[in-house]
Amino acid sequence: MRRRGIGMGAIKNKNLAQARFKDKGSELAEDQLNQMSKQLDVFRTHLEDFAAKHKDDIRKDPQFRKHFQEMCATIGVDPLASGKGFWAEMLGVGDFYYELGVQIVEVCLATSHRNGGLMDLEELRQKLLSTRGKRKQEISIDDLMRAIKKLKVLGNGFTVIPVGGRYLVQSVPGELSMDHTAVLQLAEDTGYVSMSMIRDRLKWGEERSHRAVDYMLKEGLAWVDDQAPQEKHFWFPALFSNLDQE
Amino acid sequence: MAASSFEWPWEYNFPPFFTLQPNLDTREKQLQSWCSLILSYQKHIKSHTLDVVEMQTSSLFYNKSIERKLSLESIYLILDRLEKKGHIEWLDKSKKQCYLMWRTPQEWGNTIYKWAKEAGLVNTVCTFYELTDGDDTAGQEFHGLEPDLLVKALKVLESQGKAEIIEMDESRGVKFF
Repeated sequence: MRRRGIGMGAIKNKNLAQARFKDKGSELAEDQLNQMSKQLDVFRTHLEDFAAKHKDDIRKDPQFRKHFQEMCATIGVDPLASGKGFWAEMLGVGDFYYELGVQIVEVCLATSHRNGGLMDLEELRQKLLSTRGKRKQEISIDDLMRAIKKLKVLGNGFTVIPVGGRYLVQSVPGELSMDHTAVLQLAEDTGYVSMSMIRDRLKWGEERSHRAVDYMLKEGLAWVDDQAPQEKHFWFPALFSNLDQE
Repeated sequence: MAASSFEWPWEYNFPPFFTLQPNLDTREKQLQSWCSLILSYQKHIKSHTLDVVEMQTSSLFYNKSIERKLSLESIYLILDRLEKKGHIEWLDKSKKQCYLMWRTPQEWGNTIYKWAKEAGLVNTVCTFYELTDGDDTAGQEFHGLEPDLLVKALKVLESQGKAEIIEMDESRGVKFF
């Protein structure tokens, strides 16, 4: 009997203790939360200070902009996540990329009649620099890539395709497969490909080669040259314009 | 001579530009570029006639540096298109020579009419000589315009009721409305 009595008390005590632990636990958690939000506030203030202090650098210096973006990425902040909000207000960083995005669309549309909507990223940069002219704000390839990434929200219109040592911007809908990219890569130095080049270097069969080239002709990305000495050449205006400049 | 300072468009050095493109969209762009190239080239060498056989070997249709030339068939395709736009009139039935206007008579007519209105010459008679060789028109684009082309341009204006060609003794004139 007695033992049973003690037993009851012990259970009550245990319950009580558990409740206390729980209370203490939530108290601690609250503390931590408070502390966390305090730390966040401090962090935010510092970031704001930093942003305000380096606003001009961020706007003007592409190198600095890149580092800033990288720093934000490491701590899991995306300054471009929203057009409104703190970043856009503080830095106009958002605006910068949106503006750039619009200009990229303009240039790509204006040149798509000649290149079928495929353009060398460096050529795009040169064109943008000359149209932006007056303000003389330096822009880097990195800026372009970020702006183009942002354009993705508008649909699948804009993609950056790495081709060997350079990048091409595709501004027309229409997927390019691995095969097409491989063909572009092959044409990188000369501006053109031929069936024998594809056979020798990519080791593809007739059908596969034809399918890839035909698609690119159909999309207006490639032009045929019947007057090459041995066999037909397939030229890419996007790659040719660049050879032209060099 | 004059051709050496002509600024060729980028396409001129793009080898496939000299091959008629199988893709219809691409071909459309190609033909358009050829049309404007021919017109600007002719304007540059100040030529009003085009001899197809002769032109086949000229630098317009034959880029020696890349060894590419445009086929006769393609040349005719482009010239037919220019004819539809009113830039060309064939001088013979076999289509060997054509009269080429880098601006259509309609465009010339508009330019002349605009000038006449600005100069306050409405309801006055001007002689053809005054229009193409007079001091008043020096500096105007139609100064020195070929007589044939001038007549064509004024006839367009006449058909629109903006002018009337008047036969005078020894010379001809035009009255603007």
